[in-house]
Amino acid sequence: MTRIYEDLNLIIRRARKTFFVILALLVLVVFYYWKLQVLDHEKYWKLAEANRLRESYLPPPRGLIMDRQKIVLADNVPSFKVSLMREMVKDYDVTIDKLCSLLELNREELKNRIERYRSVPAFEPIIIKDNLKLEELAILEARQEEFPELRVEAEPKRYYPFHQLAAHLLGYLQEVSPEEIKASTDRSWHPGEMVGKAGVEKQYDRILTGKEGKLVEMVDSLGRSRGVVERVEPQKGQDLVLSLDVDLQKKAEELLQDKEGAIVALDPRTGECLVWASSPSYDPNLFINRFSPEEWSKIVNDPGKPLENRVIRGLYSPGSIFKITMALAALDLRLITPETSFFCSGSINIYNNAFSCWFKPGHGWLNLPEAIKNSCNIYFYQLGYRMDIDTIAHYAELMGFGKKTGIDIPGEKTGLVPSSEWKRKVLGEKWYPGETISVAIGQGPLLVTPLQVAVATAGVANRGKRVIPQLVKLDGMPPAYEQIPIPPEDFEQVIEGMWRSVNDGGTGKGAYQAGFDVCGKTGSTQFISQKTEEKLTQKGEQVKKTHSWFSGFAPRYNPQIVVTVLVEFGGMGGQTAAPIAGEIFKLYREKYVKQKSAEGN
Amino acid sequence: MLNRRALKEIDIGTIVLLVVISLVGIVFVYSAIYSHASQFVWRQLAWLVVSLVALFLFLLIDYKIMLSFALPFYLLMNLVLLSLLFFGKLVANTKSWIILGSYQFQPSEITKLAIILLLARVFSEYREDLMSARAFLVSSAIVGVPFVLTALQPDLGTALTYLPVLFGAFILAGMKKKYVIIMLILGLLTGFIGWNYGLKDYQKRRIITLLSPGQDPRGSGYHLRQSKIAIGSGGLTGKGYHKGTQSQLRFLPARHTDFIISVIAEETGFIGILSVFLLYMIFLYRLFSTAWIAPDRVGVYLCFLAGMLIAGQFLINIMMIVGLFPIAGIPVPFISYGGSSLLTNFLVVGLVLNVRMRRFAFI
Repeated sequence: MTRIYEDLNLIIRRARKTFFVILALLVLVVFYYWKLQVLDHEKYWKLAEANRLRESYLPPPRGLIMDRQKIVLADNVPSFKVSLMREMVKDYDVTIDKLCSLLELNREELKNRIERYRSVPAFEPIIIKDNLKLEELAILEARQEEFPELRVEAEPKRYYPFHQLAAHLLGYLQEVSPEEIKASTDRSWHPGEMVGKAGVEKQYDRILTGKEGKLVEMVDSLGRSRGVVERVEPQKGQDLVLSLDVDLQKKAEELLQDKEGAIVALDPRTGECLVWASSPSYDPNLFINRFSPEEWSKIVNDPGKPLENRVIRGLYSPGSIFKITMALAALDLRLITPETSFFCSGSINIYNNAFSCWFKPGHGWLNLPEAIKNSCNIYFYQLGYRMDIDTIAHYAELMGFGKKTGIDIPGEKTGLVPSSEWKRKVLGEKWYPGETISVAIGQGPLLVTPLQVAVATAGVANRGKRVIPQLVKLDGMPPAYEQIPIPPEDFEQVIEGMWRSVNDGGTGKGAYQAGFDVCGKTGSTQFISQKTEEKLTQKGEQVKKTHSWFSGFAPRYNPQIVVTVLVEFGGMGGQTAAPIAGEIFKLYREKYVKQKSAEGN
Repeated sequence: MLNRRALKEIDIGTIVLLVVISLVGIVFVYSAIYSHASQFVWRQLAWLVVSLVALFLFLLIDYKIMLSFALPFYLLMNLVLLSLLFFGKLVANTKSWIILGSYQFQPSEITKLAIILLLARVFSEYREDLMSARAFLVSSAIVGVPFVLTALQPDLGTALTYLPVLFGAFILAGMKKKYVIIMLILGLLTGFIGWNYGLKDYQKRRIITLLSPGQDPRGSGYHLRQSKIAIGSGGLTGKGYHKGTQSQLRFLPARHTDFIISVIAEETGFIGILSVFLLYMIFLYRLFSTAWIAPDRVGVYLCFLAGMLIAGQFLINIMMIVGLFPIAGIPVPFISYGGSSLLTNFLVVGLVLNVRMRRFAFI
């Protein structure tokens, strides 16, 4: 009862004061909330917006490329890449410094790369390193918090299991450039996307590419995923089956090892290419890496030009191969009959100029098949003497020279078939009949690609049906032809000559295969005139060898394969090119013909 | 014991205020965890009913009788805390829970009640104008023991909520003004400045993980950032109920417990937050003002310490979610989800109501 009277005033005063301090503190906090919510509202609103949904694309696996036996030539393997989310970068210098030491990147290169992508919207991540090693992956995963601006993703990566094999045919992939992204109107690209830059990869890029997937994630303002909202799986691109035969291709590349040249083989019935070799070659896997400027420049600056697809981009004089065209033209024009003979004494004087045969002693009297068999120059000078250049040009074009073959691969060159009009237009000069004599044996300004020669040979093999070559076997597509308006009997005469060339001790005897009626024609091209060559040889100097050609088909009746071989600086066609072609015929026969006849028995 | 007069003096107004604040809490807990809310909401509603019933039962007992049980109660709670350290099961990486079937209970919450009762009892006979060294040591020990036991669980957040009570006792007992101000400033400085400028992110993260491993390992800096974005983006009027993008899209961590105010701020804006704060201020005023009309020294202590407990938790929470105080895992009394905390806080308020209704007992 006494407590009622005790003096509580002191502690009540203390309690009251404390409460007011608390109240004051509360009011201060309210002001802070006012600042956050009302004054700084815009800033936080923006951050909240960034805290929303992020849409990113999922790269589709590229379609596989296979040979005719479904052996995979271009595959996909998993790999990891790391991208920079530029929106999240606060200070580029700091980020670049850290990245360079973390991932061992070249500082200047990284800077240039970021600079190059300036024109691409900032929300698009740019890839700064791909093909991450496991250790790098581990480092990045561990440091994820420190680098909210980095994103590590898996991507299917192109892989060519046979490396340099058929590299020119397959082509390669490279990163789409920022300029291309900007210029593209029909498709939207993502930075760092790989696109076919050559060969089949380029030609069939759309088909191979597939459909990209989509990933919508909730992300916080630091760009970190907080959950997946929507995921649309990417659709793999369509697989492509090539007409190529890996076994023949391997053989062809082996034969061209340490040489510069090209081999192309096709099926004259369909135009399907079985072999497509261009030497020297390169490993397209090197280009899949987005960052290997060293390797790139090494390949680009290689004097052997490994990137050049010699099958369709190498321009050569056809040399004696062209005699086939001359023979057909002369027969069709009825300038000669198969029995018409000319005498070869080793040289001939036309228009006050001495033209010589490659066989100095001379061939004596020969008719057309014998002239083809022995590749006699004199015989064809005689034909050239009886034709004008424009007629020759007409027949050359009928054989497919001077225009694209229509192969389904980009970058094909047209070559050159000279005519009086061409010379007037390009050189502004009149055509001299003397030049026609050179053209008659495939020299002069005439330029062809190995594929054009193969197609022309297929036209002969088919007795007039010049097939359009193709690489990709698309179902239900009938082979396309162009008819050469020359009677089939004329072809038979020429084929007789080609048969003798290989099987009767002619210039093409190196291509002989027992039991497989190979018909063919050799060719050698000169870079310097014969006169200069003779002078040089007399002085005892080493004369650079000629390009070596062989083009033929087998068997003689119902031919199944055309093989064209070109070896740069290979010497006489009969020496180098013909035996190489022989090897291809041999392997083809073992693989396709013998098996079949065994089955037939 | 319970006469008519006392019954009439039950402060219905404060109880209504309390229920309103609790319901506001439940409404926003519902919004914050909409996807699996029903279970949480029903549970919290059940806890509210239990807490109300407990409150009324609590009022039946005269606070002076409670005081005679203060010491045994306090010792019991410490024993429970101690045994939890040895036998407790790890829940969310701490040993702070007693699990009964599907219900969990946090003894560290009820310990608050024991601390207030014992402190009030100890100081009820203390009539000096200034605080003696002995009073300082005794009161420090009373809070220190459960503080250490709770912090070891480890639950630094709950342990920290004991400190405003101790601080309140110091003030009433007559600690020199100089020291009060020094303590206040030191507390705020180590909290605010130390946290924001003194420590590096990874150091903070280490401390946090060390003290309360139950937290998201991504770190407190992350939580704070998300919380500030949610609050700031709410603007003046908010994004609307259940339309807060930050909370709905789950960017906000612990959004139904520690960060429930951030949800309210995002969805109702500054106006909504101001309303909630005003409600809370009125409520705090009802608690503290009871101290001014308390009949005896114990009554003043009880009301004031209860007020300090509630106000301390509230202030720390609303400051920590905007970065004015380190993120310490302290829920908002009555608003955050959590049964033990709700019940305890109701009983703490019950103490104040008890004093208020019996203030005329001696006349």
